Amino acid sequence: MKKPLLLSSALLLLVSPATVQAQSAPVKLRFVSLAWQTQAIAAVKEAVAGCNAANKNIQVDYQQVSWDSVQDYLTTSFQAKSVPDIFHYESTPVMEFAAQGVLTDLSKLIPAEMKSDIAPGAWATVTADNGAIYGVPFLWESLITIYNKDLFKAASIRVPTIAKPWSWTEFQQASKKLTVDKNGDGKAEQYGSAFGLRSPTNRIMNLSLGFGGDYFYKDGNRYVVRVTDKERALLKILLDMQYTSKSAAPEGLTAQSPELFAGFFSGKFAMLPGIGVWARQTIAETGPKDLNWGVLPPIKATTQAQGSATQTLSIPAASGHKKEATQFITCFVSRVNNGKLAAGDWLFPTRQSSLRGAPFQSDANGWRVASDSAKYLTMAPYQEVKGYTEVKNKVLTPTFQQMLAGRITLDDAAKQIEKEGNAILAKYYK
Amino acid sequence: MTHTLQPPGPPVPRRPRRRPRFQPARMLMGALLLLFVVFLAFPLLWLISTAFKPLAETFTTALIPQNPTWANFGEAIVDLGVLQSAANTFKVSFISALLTLAIATPAAYVLARRPSPVNRGVLIWILVTQTFPVILIIVPLFLILARFGLVNTHLGLIVVYVVWSLPFVLWMLQGYVSGIPNELEEAAAMDGANQVQTITRILLPLLIPALVATGLYAFVNAWNEFFFALVLLKSPELTTIQVNLSKLRGIEGLARWGPLAAGSLLATFPTLVLFGFMQRRLVSGLLSGGVKA
Amino acid sequence: MGISLSPPNALFSGRQVKFGSDWPVIARQPAGPKGSASGYARVSWWLFVPTLVPVLILSVWPLVQGLYMGFTSDELGAAGRNFVGLANFQQMLGDTQFWASFRIGGVWAVIVTAGVIVLGLGLALLLNAGLPFQGVARVLVLIPWAIPPVIKGVIWRLVYHPTGGVLNSVLLSLGIISTPIDWLNSFDWALLAVIVVGIWTGLPQATVVLLAGLQTIPEELKEAAALDGASSMQQLRHVTLPLMAPVIFAVTALEFMWNFNSFGLVYTLTAGGPAGTTRLPMLFAYEEAFQYGHLGYASALGTVMVLIVGLALAHSVRRQLRDAAPKESS
Repeated sequence: MKKPLLLSSALLLLVSPATVQAQSAPVKLRFVSLAWQTQAIAAVKEAVAGCNAANKNIQVDYQQVSWDSVQDYLTTSFQAKSVPDIFHYESTPVMEFAAQGVLTDLSKLIPAEMKSDIAPGAWATVTADNGAIYGVPFLWESLITIYNKDLFKAASIRVPTIAKPWSWTEFQQASKKLTVDKNGDGKAEQYGSAFGLRSPTNRIMNLSLGFGGDYFYKDGNRYVVRVTDKERALLKILLDMQYTSKSAAPEGLTAQSPELFAGFFSGKFAMLPGIGVWARQTIAETGPKDLNWGVLPPIKATTQAQGSATQTLSIPAASGHKKEATQFITCFVSRVNNGKLAAGDWLFPTRQSSLRGAPFQSDANGWRVASDSAKYLTMAPYQEVKGYTEVKNKVLTPTFQQMLAGRITLDDAAKQIEKEGNAILAKYYK
Repeated sequence: MTHTLQPPGPPVPRRPRRRPRFQPARMLMGALLLLFVVFLAFPLLWLISTAFKPLAETFTTALIPQNPTWANFGEAIVDLGVLQSAANTFKVSFISALLTLAIATPAAYVLARRPSPVNRGVLIWILVTQTFPVILIIVPLFLILARFGLVNTHLGLIVVYVVWSLPFVLWMLQGYVSGIPNELEEAAAMDGANQVQTITRILLPLLIPALVATGLYAFVNAWNEFFFALVLLKSPELTTIQVNLSKLRGIEGLARWGPLAAGSLLATFPTLVLFGFMQRRLVSGLLSGGVKA
Repeated sequence: MGISLSPPNALFSGRQVKFGSDWPVIARQPAGPKGSASGYARVSWWLFVPTLVPVLILSVWPLVQGLYMGFTSDELGAAGRNFVGLANFQQMLGDTQFWASFRIGGVWAVIVTAGVIVLGLGLALLLNAGLPFQGVARVLVLIPWAIPPVIKGVIWRLVYHPTGGVLNSVLLSLGIISTPIDWLNSFDWALLAVIVVGIWTGLPQATVVLLAGLQTIPEELKEAAALDGASSMQQLRHVTLPLMAPVIFAVTALEFMWNFNSFGLVYTLTAGGPAGTTRLPMLFAYEEAFQYGHLGYASALGTVMVLIVGLALAHSVRRQLRDAAPKESS
């Protein structure tokens, strides 16, 4: 170990000595986790401890990093070749890292039992065109509608069921019916819906899938972005609800989902449509005790299909212990652990056997309806588009924001997305 | 600095202020100051309020919690280990601030008192380096630190913070020194003081507020820094307070608000206490009439 | 206790170095007529070494590497350095989104810097005026500085919130506005809204350094002016401000650079939105480097920012530094 020449000797005392691993010592792995809720952290720690106890030859150190800094953390780590052995992240950025060649292909390392138990739609989110697999998907979520039962009863609205879900038209009608101008001043005090559309892109992409609106289409061996009638269908509905029927709260246009809870708790919003299943945790824990709420199944467009990203575990190409890291992942995403980890975050386990477990089929907190929607989850095409993040930041998000703010028309937005989006994609697909 | 040949004389008491009791100008000044204080300090109220709110009141806007609780502090201290990380951060920030001052003060003296084209060039260079995105030098920097075995050590972080605070401290200190008229030093020299005496007896006392201000800057800079601490330190027991607090933030703008506010309050407190002590030192250290002709 | 010794290197023109404890200082030389260019203070470059070494290793060298990267097509994970000459700079010329963000960065940096300096100077004077509760006020005004950055964006998002926010309720009750404004998401107001937060967050630091500047002004000079019958306004104009000039200049230059370089706070407030109206140039570069992995291009952006802003400032900096050089007493 080289000593820094520039520093005074007194400060050298602070340098912790590098520990030298003996040959026989257990392999030490570093695992970066993103779990952040109390229950989820507990579940992760328990699973890690269990795996460490089960296999003394592999000892895993757990390190928590936050969601909003993990991208920077990983990018720097990859550049500096100072990587964790296993990291937790999301399929979309993971596939972008994979395209840059910094991740290990796991397709030959994954045990068959796990391969067959995890839902095929989840595997699709981490599988490249050539069949290489760059992560083990272990959690995912669907977009559901959370509703206020009392307000539904007051407006005598039939609650849709798993067997008989709403179409978007029925949903729009209900939302209209739930929008009430109590004092007759022309402005509603109660809105049927509130969409959190501050960062609208991923939600629009995922929900558009039900209309067959893929946005990104294969053209030979390259992707192009198109805004056809299928893509426009959802955008038209959103614009109609915000500006024509005015059954969606205007503040939702620029809100993040958590900013809508206060309004939902106070009865100002009757429904929070297109919100992630995780939201149930916040409502259960922080909502008023007398709030009577439930979960509606996904709204049916042409189909009820939804795009979903998955939360994943991946191994950097620069890790020195890929075999051991895979062993750890296999243990960490065991059938039992997968259920506990998902329940801790109020998300779905990707293992089909775990999803059939009791906690996910109970009627409490809307679990049964929510869990049923997992079967509609699939990979949205945007997830395998190279350069998607750049198209999203530079074109899709700004354009949707302009359109939703009423500054440009749907036609203008469509043109803008196709022109500017394809110009960026052309850089990636030469 | 330990070898002042003569101890500095006692501070001369400030001139007694004789002012009428009611003065419209001073009332106006007082009102303005109050406005500034409200504008700058209001978040403290929010922090205190949220820190004592139980989970069920997270989304209420009331300033005073209905069922105040200490649970958030417990969570921040026990689950998250805020105190340990605060101690780490204090150590790193304090040492790096002292080191920064120790190496910047002489250099600032050179820059201020020895004008030359090279000198000006150095100052401009330092300024210009401030424009280059930190995010782009992090990787080369990381590799250099790794070569010296400084990744995952507090020393590595201290070194980074010293280098990071230097430009500002150096620039400000040379500004302060330039603002002190040369005549004071000359008069002392004519009086037979040697250079060491001139500096320790004339310049340093005058510079105390400047050293306090720039030292505070270096300290707070290190205290609040996030990115280097995130990528350089891997072991949880070495973590700094900002990295630790960030763990309470989740997805989609969610966070564990109560513990986050409690932890932030705990993290704000030491800095405020330090400010409280230091603000006294922001008063001139000048020995009025200390330079005898 | 000072020991005299010759510097081991002839580069430094054979001046004598005196070490008083660990405090090396050049002894005053009798050489040269009074009023010569080198003047009173013959100070050694040795004093500069402790600064220079860490800066060279940990700032200049990484910076040089960063600059070089701008001439490569480096991507995350790409092996080796792929020199592409000026290709990145050509691409930049046609990158309208970057230049748009560059303009936004200019507006942001100029207004925030001006606001911080003007308000900071005013606040420093107020805090120095011997008003009641001065000590408490001096601590309270530093709160934005002390509060963890992770919380700053959160608090201001609450302040600006369209329905529950403090700002809208105050303005509504005062009758200044008739409908609430969604400050951070408004195409007209978002930039101004983040500028206010920028000033809020930068004010304490500027105030402290300016307050310290006020304190380093020798009382004698003010007393002398007072004896000459100068009013406090005249003292301010003719004594305080001129002597503060180097400090004010230094803090202005640095604040400007800094603000131009910042993006973290704005990112937590608006993420650059709505529709890029608050996308600062450094946020643009950050996204290129960290989200799209275009390290070479991002470095080129950084280089151009250094050049444009650095050169723009360098001229005035040079003049200022020349003016601020110690004046010789006759």
